[in-house]
Amino acid sequence: MRLADALADARSARRRLVVPYLLVDRRRLGRLRGTVEALRDAGATALELGFPFSDPIADGPVLAGAADQALAHGTDWRDLLAAARIASRSLPTAVMTYANPVLRHTLPAGLAALARSGVSGLIVPDLSLEESGPWRSASHRADLALVLLAAPGATPVRIAAIARASRGFLYLVSYYGTTGSAASTGTPDLAPLVRAAREAAPALPVLLGFGIRDRGSAERALRTGVDGVVIGTALEEAIQRDPRPAAVGRWLASVVGPRAG
Amino acid sequence: MPRRYGPFGGSFVPETLVPALHELDRAWREARRDPEFRRELRRLSETLGGRPTPLYFARNLTRRARGAEIWLKREDLVHGGAHKFNNALGQGLLARRMGKPRLIAETGAGQHGVATAMIGATLGLDTEVYMGSVDMERQKPNVERMRLLGAKVIPVTTGARTLKDAINAALRDWIANVRTTHYLLGSAVGPYPFPAIVADFQSVIGREIRTQSVRAFGRLPDLVVACVGGGSNAIGTFRPLLRTKVELLGVEAGGPRGSKGAGSLTSGSPGVLHGSFSYVLQDQDGQVSDTESISAGLDYAGVGPEHAWLKESGRARYIAVHDTDALRAFHWLARDEGILPALEPSHALFAAVAEARKRPSTQHVVVTLSGRGDKDLGVVLGAAR
Ligand SMILES: Cc1ncc(COP(=O)(O)O)c(C=O)c1O
Repeated sequence: MRLADALADARSARRRLVVPYLLVDRRRLGRLRGTVEALRDAGATALELGFPFSDPIADGPVLAGAADQALAHGTDWRDLLAAARIASRSLPTAVMTYANPVLRHTLPAGLAALARSGVSGLIVPDLSLEESGPWRSASHRADLALVLLAAPGATPVRIAAIARASRGFLYLVSYYGTTGSAASTGTPDLAPLVRAAREAAPALPVLLGFGIRDRGSAERALRTGVDGVVIGTALEEAIQRDPRPAAVGRWLASVVGPRAG
Repeated sequence: MPRRYGPFGGSFVPETLVPALHELDRAWREARRDPEFRRELRRLSETLGGRPTPLYFARNLTRRARGAEIWLKREDLVHGGAHKFNNALGQGLLARRMGKPRLIAETGAGQHGVATAMIGATLGLDTEVYMGSVDMERQKPNVERMRLLGAKVIPVTTGARTLKDAINAALRDWIANVRTTHYLLGSAVGPYPFPAIVADFQSVIGREIRTQSVRAFGRLPDLVVACVGGGSNAIGTFRPLLRTKVELLGVEAGGPRGSKGAGSLTSGSPGVLHGSFSYVLQDQDGQVSDTESISAGLDYAGVGPEHAWLKESGRARYIAVHDTDALRAFHWLARDEGILPALEPSHALFAAVAEARKRPSTQHVVVTLSGRGDKDLGVVLGAAR
């Protein structure tokens, strides 16, 4: 299934949307299929597949360190395409990477290659609304949902413009900072941002990301009125503690699954 | 002021920074039109910074080259020892205008860090400077100067531990603290409006060259030469001369012979690094390459977007000079003129002497001597051993 449809369907069914983030690392490709299946079984709605970049300015030490490792292991674009083919069999898959690797493969050819590998969404953390024009048309042509990010500090007018331009979902960043740096979400008042996005694009799911690390932070996130969460750093830490798919699945279930007992 | 230079420039940044970039753009546009701001900028440039800097005829170096006359634009005499002051002062005043109590900066050679620390002290703003740990080692005197000036120096130990990594760290700090902090970016790089603002504050170099050369030898120079790290002293030199016939030559770091060096314009390709679309040293997947240069200030895989456009449009020319040749030029200037240049402009000096050699004695070559060499004594003496 495709990213936009899967999220829209789950939202209509009043399920909360859960999108875990997995970084592509050549050394982890062997476990990828099992990991994605375990995430799906633990309640993931879709998957964000991260392609490492040498200068990930939106990322804190955990994800930046993991990206450095992945590059040191020789991870390249072919690994991304291979990972996408594997992952998209089990979950709708969006690729998250910085602008430069995509531009290097050129917008039309790079996006077409992703789409052919089963990718149905693209998230670029250093792509501002101002720069997104050519990306939006290229994504549209490649049949990829270009997911835009919104962040605290934006005016309601700006949030509305971003929500109208975003496809698949709106990725709302929960705090001022890089990934994995805040212990809990909810410091800035996100409710007005969520409301502005809803008014501008009522059909677009809104997901909150950055700083979701356990059941408490996930529940606080959902209380801001969003449809779901993106989980990155904490999942990476869980994988570093125990990379076995069953353990990774158990960890995700402990955050977003039904309460035990 | 253009957001783009041909296809280059733009602002590729996380959404969290966008409001701050808009705020900065507004503040700068207002400030430029505010006579009070301009008066203050001018007063501090002169009375604190020591402007205007002289245009000096390097008679002995000219004799060595046996060709065109070589003149030095003495930015090494600016307060702090480099052109970096020009931009740090301007942006410091903007930060105060925006009510931001805290400055952060990146630094490679330490000159921009020193300039920011000085301005932070002058204007009463808290100052923290990110510096790669490799650069802290090779530019130690500047680390000590920053600390004495009251700034906190934060070592960066990721990546190659040089300028690129320091910019990453500063950008991450800014994303977290953007409401209270101004990122005082030190070169003509980064997302719009930084390249435009930095070029604006550095253009005083080229404006002075214009009037001083007419006064000194009756016309504009035939060629101006400046080193290019991120490209701030070069764009400051070039900008006011763009609509003239003066030839423009930018000199990048070629690194050790046989290495890939740090020449983004001479060996790189178009790409996005640190918020703008420009030339970047990168691999086939767009991963940014590690660089190598004897000079910390030129040891950077990116370059300002306006230079990318000047290169593509053919208005300026860019070449790379190797470490050993930069060192030779360092010693020439020391012996011939009694001036110790920084290693960064030593690259430009080497190219200027080579160019002067090819030209008749009726021509004039102006080199921007962007900084003084005190910070580099350790590296230079180490290389001699
Ligand atoms: C003396 C000196 N010149 C040149 C540079 C290179 O910077 P830019 O290309 O921005 O002038 C530096 C940077 O640290 C420097 O200290």
